[in-house]
Amino acid sequence: MPLGPGLLDELTRILGPDGLVASEEGRLVYECDMHTFYKGAPDVVALPKSTAEVLAIVRLCRRERVPIVPRGSGTGLIGGAMAPHGGVMIGLNRMTRILEIDLANRSATVQPGLINLWLTRAVQERGWFFAPDPSSQMVSSIGGNVSTNAGGPHCLKYGITANHVLGLELVTGAGEVVRLGGKVADHAGYDLTGVAVGSEGTFGLVTTVTVRLLHTAEAVRTILASFGSIETASEAVSAIIAAGIIPAALEMLDELMIQAINAGTGAAYPKDAGAVLLIELDGPRAEVEAQAERVAAICRERGALDVRVARDEAERALLWKGRKEAAGAVGRLAPTYLLQDAVVPRSRLPEIMRELRAIAERHRVQIANVFHAGDGNLHPLILYDDRNPEELERAKAANEALLHACIAMGGTITGEHGVGLDKVKNLSLQYGDADLNFMARLRGIFDPDRIMNPGKLLPSHPACGEGFRPARPRLPEGAWV
Amino acid sequence: MSVLARPIGGALAAIVGQEAVVDDRAACASAAVDGLAPRWIVRPASLDEVSRVLALAWDAELAVVPRGGGHALELGHPPSRLDLVLDLRRLDHVVEYNPDDLTVTVEAGATMEALTARVGARRQLLPLDPGGVERRTLGGLAATNASGPLRARYGTLRDLLLGVRFVQADGVVTWGGAKVVKSVSGYDVPKLMVGALGTLGVLGELTLRLHPAPPFEATWLAAFKDLAAAQAFIARLVDSTVQPNRVELLNRAALGACGAGDAPAAVAVSIATAEEAVRAQGQMVSRFAREAGATLLPLDASFWTAYGRATTPEGAIALAVGTLVTLVGETAAETERAVAAAGPAAAITGSATLGSLRATFPTVEPRAVRALVERLRALVAPVGGSVIIQRAPAAVRAAVDPWGPLEPDAFALMRGLKDEFDAKRVLNPGRFVGGL
Repeated sequence: MPLGPGLLDELTRILGPDGLVASEEGRLVYECDMHTFYKGAPDVVALPKSTAEVLAIVRLCRRERVPIVPRGSGTGLIGGAMAPHGGVMIGLNRMTRILEIDLANRSATVQPGLINLWLTRAVQERGWFFAPDPSSQMVSSIGGNVSTNAGGPHCLKYGITANHVLGLELVTGAGEVVRLGGKVADHAGYDLTGVAVGSEGTFGLVTTVTVRLLHTAEAVRTILASFGSIETASEAVSAIIAAGIIPAALEMLDELMIQAINAGTGAAYPKDAGAVLLIELDGPRAEVEAQAERVAAICRERGALDVRVARDEAERALLWKGRKEAAGAVGRLAPTYLLQDAVVPRSRLPEIMRELRAIAERHRVQIANVFHAGDGNLHPLILYDDRNPEELERAKAANEALLHACIAMGGTITGEHGVGLDKVKNLSLQYGDADLNFMARLRGIFDPDRIMNPGKLLPSHPACGEGFRPARPRLPEGAWV
Repeated sequence: MSVLARPIGGALAAIVGQEAVVDDRAACASAAVDGLAPRWIVRPASLDEVSRVLALAWDAELAVVPRGGGHALELGHPPSRLDLVLDLRRLDHVVEYNPDDLTVTVEAGATMEALTARVGARRQLLPLDPGGVERRTLGGLAATNASGPLRARYGTLRDLLLGVRFVQADGVVTWGGAKVVKSVSGYDVPKLMVGALGTLGVLGELTLRLHPAPPFEATWLAAFKDLAAAQAFIARLVDSTVQPNRVELLNRAALGACGAGDAPAAVAVSIATAEEAVRAQGQMVSRFAREAGATLLPLDASFWTAYGRATTPEGAIALAVGTLVTLVGETAAETERAVAAAGPAAAITGSATLGSLRATFPTVEPRAVRALVERLRALVAPVGGSVIIQRAPAAVRAAVDPWGPLEPDAFALMRGLKDEFDAKRVLNPGRFVGGL
């Protein structure tokens, strides 16, 4: 759907000539996020520098009924920041300022394009940090984190992005600027901040974010325990939680992943291990020491082959190195992979791992696993060779099968990456008509014309259609006169 | 009794059974909300019954007030009308408890006491401790977003509610969220339901995140020469590696009500973790107290029980004052003065590291309450704070907006939500912000 020349002129008037990317090759850069499966370049990319500019663009697009796709750093994994229907992409990478740091009130206010890690860097010397730590934190933007409600290894203890957002300035799809929440913790009315976090750009564009900052812990201990099998490692996970210990992070890698990491990085995880557990404890020193001892003992009781405790920051970095470079290391095993993000109740980990093996066999694919074991958040990587179309089909079939398996165990189709375009078709695995209908109507409050990131998060399911209502309960005979 | 009353009563009885519908005038009078007596009290025993009762109410345009333990019925505006009190206390089952996953699903009418008995046996807890919490229902706690001192460590229901099954105003049963501890699929509907006072749907079933019960807890009290000194201590605590369980500010009246001594201001701190870590952190807290001119004294664990009682006195007016952490001392002092100007002494407490204060004082006449609430709203407005009347006689809440002003653009969205999901104003009509 090419845009009319009038609209381009108006956008130029709002942003100036250097605020637009309209060339063919320029727009191609924006055709996908990190889920390169889904491609769709916008007709134009707008790069505003202020809330006022964002607002002017939204009002213009609304008037013209042109779809808007918000984009931060483009590091999402769900086909979120790409334009399947063309339209105007709004890149927020020029809004990167830290507007306020207020440590005494444990908060910071930033623009959405600010890189996640930059915020922590700005406060870490004073002993503070921003808790959400997606693996992309060196490049992903805080606006993007808010949009997808991003998680990370340490959200086992600290929670995901929603738990750290105090307030937002939002330009809604209706073309209004609203200020929701704020530095003060309590507000009257509906928690619109809470429900806007994770709305994947379907409500509007976040132009300012007020976040909670946390004080750095007094001590950190990182432990690496290797096990003969995923099952024994999973039992250790359950035993740690049952002992009343919630580590900051509790990560697991399976055999295939360990091999890939050992071959591809300098991490040197135990070679003969069937599974590796990476456990990080943080908090007051005495607490961490007591818990580290207990965790090491539990791992040994549960048959750990080897338990290593990092003695300093360098050793800690080495233990984490393999985990952090896992996705890259997989490149040695296969030309490409599908990265999945699904959740099962933690207690079902051994079961889902058996199921994953069966799925891999059934579909003749290899699946490597690296995941947040503490909260049951799986990240299976389904390996395939994209030069072989038949192999791709098998990978996709395995991908669907494992989502179904997670749902069957009471889980969810995404733990931290989001829905985007990728999982729109899967949402009805988890929600019924009434639930989807509620969400569609909720979205309509913020974006009445459905111009905001259309096609993402909500399926084009009958329940999401206009006028559709799920069945109401039957009333007794003669109830109404 | 209107022409319609009889067939509706019969229809209600057909849904929930005759014994679960009360239309006796005296009984209905005793279930009045802010002086408005309902025509029926209905006690559904299942979510399906709730759904069918609401479908009927929707068609007949009845005004419905859902209730649990009845502890928060004095929150919000008096209802604009009332036909039916929906008493959810028979929905009291623990539906599913997964100790290995630290999750539990309960029906909305289950009490905290019942839940604690169940999960406490596995040394787990739902860390939520507003005054009188034992007898309150989980649905009521969620609908009112009630919290207590433990929020300093664990957050509020916003952070603990994973999934919610609710019944929309027209009777459609709806689910939002997930039953696992981590999920971002679809909108975070549970967050929308927390604190919404049942105005977008009646809460039926809640899936909650549990936490392991800490092995050891110790509590200390630091008494200060004034609120400013307490503020300095709080600032020091915030900028430290101490990870407290609770940090509560108390003024003189609150201290007295807890029977914990006499001083112009005090801060009660509890730390809960491995015993050696509790001791080590206690020493750090003790040093901060000394630096702020106070001595740290150990308190018995029973202090928190007394504290819960003292912060929710019967018949008193209760205000929730939200401000910045850096202003809690100053805001508490100004609250003392504002209430004193109306006559009584306010007991002021609150989560100091979150800026969430609570003031309780004996009832005074509505005009005086309005004056002091307006004074406090003016005080906290520049920092985006709030003053919410959490409990007061109906006459007071009729004279003073219990919720306070909202940003017009944000309120427009809220009204949009109410229009979309309850256009007929069936659920708690008039009670929520802006009379929604």
